[in-house]
Amino acid sequence: MSELILATGDEQAALIEEIANYGDPVIAEIYEAWRTGGVYTFESDTGLQLLQFTELQEWVLVSTGEVVPLSEADADRVEKERASRSVRKSMKSIIDTLGLKAEDANVRIDSAIKMGRSQKMEFVPALEARLLVEPSKEVKQAIEEALAISLLENGDAEQKLAAVKDLTKMKSIAARGFIEKVLQAERDAARAQGPLALASANALLVIEEHVKIMEFLGSFFRGFSTGSVLLIVSFGLAITFGLMGIINMAHGEFVAIGGYTTYMVQTFFMNQWGLSSEAFGWYFVVSLPLSFLMAAGIGLLLEKTIIRFLYRRPLESLLCTWGISMVMQQGFRLIFGAANVQVNNPTWLMGNLSVGGFSMSYTRLFIMFVALLVVLLTWLLLRKTNLGLHIRAVMQNRSMASSLGIPVARVNSMTFALGCGLAALGGSVLSQIGNVGPLMGQQYIVDSFMVVVIGSVGNLLGAGISAMGIGFVDQLLQPSLGPVMGKITVFFVIILFLQWRPGGLFPTRSRSLDD
Amino acid sequence: MILSAENKKEIGIFCLVAGLLMLIPSLNAWGPDSGFLSMSSFQVSLWGKYLTYAILAMSLNLLWGYTGLLCLCQSLFFALGGYAMGMYLMLMIGERGAYKSPLPDFMVFLGYQELPIHWQPFYSFWFTAGAVLWVPGLVAMIFGFLAFRSRIKGVYFSILTQALTYAVCLLFFRNDFTFGGNNGFTDFKDILGASINDASTTRWLYIASALLLLITYLITSGLLASKLGKVQQAIRDSENRVLFSGYSTTSFKLVIFVLSAMIAGAAGALYVPQVGGINPSAMEAAKSLEVVVWVAVGGRGTKWGPVIGAILVNLFKSYTTQAFPDYWLIIMGGMFVCVVLFMPDGIVGIYQQIKSKIAQQRSLQTTEA
Repeated sequence: MSELILATGDEQAALIEEIANYGDPVIAEIYEAWRTGGVYTFESDTGLQLLQFTELQEWVLVSTGEVVPLSEADADRVEKERASRSVRKSMKSIIDTLGLKAEDANVRIDSAIKMGRSQKMEFVPALEARLLVEPSKEVKQAIEEALAISLLENGDAEQKLAAVKDLTKMKSIAARGFIEKVLQAERDAARAQGPLALASANALLVIEEHVKIMEFLGSFFRGFSTGSVLLIVSFGLAITFGLMGIINMAHGEFVAIGGYTTYMVQTFFMNQWGLSSEAFGWYFVVSLPLSFLMAAGIGLLLEKTIIRFLYRRPLESLLCTWGISMVMQQGFRLIFGAANVQVNNPTWLMGNLSVGGFSMSYTRLFIMFVALLVVLLTWLLLRKTNLGLHIRAVMQNRSMASSLGIPVARVNSMTFALGCGLAALGGSVLSQIGNVGPLMGQQYIVDSFMVVVIGSVGNLLGAGISAMGIGFVDQLLQPSLGPVMGKITVFFVIILFLQWRPGGLFPTRSRSLDD
Repeated sequence: MILSAENKKEIGIFCLVAGLLMLIPSLNAWGPDSGFLSMSSFQVSLWGKYLTYAILAMSLNLLWGYTGLLCLCQSLFFALGGYAMGMYLMLMIGERGAYKSPLPDFMVFLGYQELPIHWQPFYSFWFTAGAVLWVPGLVAMIFGFLAFRSRIKGVYFSILTQALTYAVCLLFFRNDFTFGGNNGFTDFKDILGASINDASTTRWLYIASALLLLITYLITSGLLASKLGKVQQAIRDSENRVLFSGYSTTSFKLVIFVLSAMIAGAAGALYVPQVGGINPSAMEAAKSLEVVVWVAVGGRGTKWGPVIGAILVNLFKSYTTQAFPDYWLIIMGGMFVCVVLFMPDGIVGIYQQIKSKIAQQRSLQTTEA
């Protein structure tokens, strides 16, 4: 690299091409810096060094990326290395096409799409060349699409027609605007009945159809993932409120504990191993159980000191836990600051899974997976273990369970801790798709209560179904009504639903008068 | 009415409170300008605000303390009354707003050409005075009918009312809802032709609040003495027995719910001119919970408890927000926990609590001896 910049004339042009063929993303960065005049030479004691002045106001060694501390006097001796005009020009197109040779398939797809959208003739050869050697099928598709879009503008009539037909076959959503432009141009040229215009109109229809299907799938997917989020957050509530009769207004703050624990684990990993290291990717795997344990511990403490006086006094528990929620919120503000903190996605959760042109983000898929896991584990715990048996016994009849020798006090604390832990699990997962802040749990608390009420209190299956149902209704209404009106409509639907089934989806049958 | 000893005591307390309440505007009007007995207009309006809070607490007490319905949308009714009054006050600004237009400023800003039809009647003060009562009343009636009909009670009632508050609050935060979006109403000028910042207007607003407080007290005690009130308390103690005795608890609960919403609306209407504005944050779910806490601190199901609770908690809140801005939420939260755990009957109940404790101790001592 240093050879290149220090070389002259024709030698430089040849070297540029050669180095670009390595396809390393760093090259693009350095080229860009050089082109805009950010590369300097420095005559040090050990010889000539190439330096780069970064955005962080630091001098960096071009060859290794090391930070070089320079004194004021040294800084004055640094000389700017300028690239000649022809070199700058050839570098510009190399930088643009370098993305096509990147290691990461997603980067290749992105750059192909970008080049197609720009509809510049000069990219066509690069795209065509890449098409021949491209190993990945998806990238090939993206390049073909980009080529077709590019030809829409630059090709002759024949090529244009072929391109439109290709795009119809590909059902390319990205091309919609460009095809509309072609159609308009044809109409302006009084060729509205010409083969190109007809093909374009047909293409638009096909694409429109495709968009509708995609939109439907999209709201289905979003509904499912919104439902999953609600499910994770409200499952804990279904246990504390549904089974124990404690209205935990601080439930939202336990969600926030999950978010903050994830943040702390992330910070620890970042300081220990650095952001780009292999180990950093594991932080989320570690933080999930950790946030569960953290919140369960705090929940246990709370149960032992305060909550245990509130069984059978649901309204008092509401007031008391609201006080606790105020204390916890302010506690978060004092420890972490009032602003939201930044939680990064681990690399393995970035990107999308694309099936038949329909893409689903890995984070959302992961949330669904966690939701499924939570449901499964809770069900196993409650149905297949001794503790689960005790929990169900205590929740049905405290005094009878106690007289049968079940350690009621301990079961109570364990149940409450479980509910709090589940809330934190929700918070940990939420940190991947939303903000982590002192008020993060508050957004979900009203919805969660609705989920529990609709699903019949104490019925976990009901909670699961109603979470999914509310998620779907919310996502179906949102496109037409907007997020706020959608939410309001959901509330009124819920109130009307309770007219029809006051006891929720699966009311418990009981002979007790006050149920 | 026969004046029993109990009644005499109550009337005595009522007169004492009325006298104390009237002391504040009198001191403001005729008192000294400085020194311990001086009372600035700012303080008068501050106390006026506390009194509207006290009325709000009393209206909740009617529901929670005497009927056993923990309602978490009381601040919604309060804000609805406030918004109705705010609409009138906005129209009274006339062409003195920033845009010199007869329309309220935020409407000019949003590009409205003429006043929306539902704003028109609010030019009339008497229509407004009615709307302050019937708007919250209507909302309460519709929601209450739906809720009580399907026998939603206890905790579920609380959660649903909270959801209602949340939903309406979201609605008011929207700009295109013609109620000023998240800025709400502000910058009032006149009320009934008098400038809103005059010392005398402040005094009159305070006096109106004090009168509403006393009237609410009379309504509460009148209700409790009546047959309706007896049924009301019976519902609180055991709804099923009332049902089996042949009463339709639904309609009783509905009447009290609507009445309570109207009182809250009236309190809100007096709150807005004294504070000088209203926005949707006044109806957030947390505000309703705060009202519940005032009642709990003062003593639920007692006649003066909510008033004492509302005023004390708010005085304490004013003090802590200034003295410990970082810790006041923690102090308040801790206080709520303590009140629930150690003072189930609130401040008013402390005397009784101590008395029974002492009696218990004595009986223990006598049995030991």
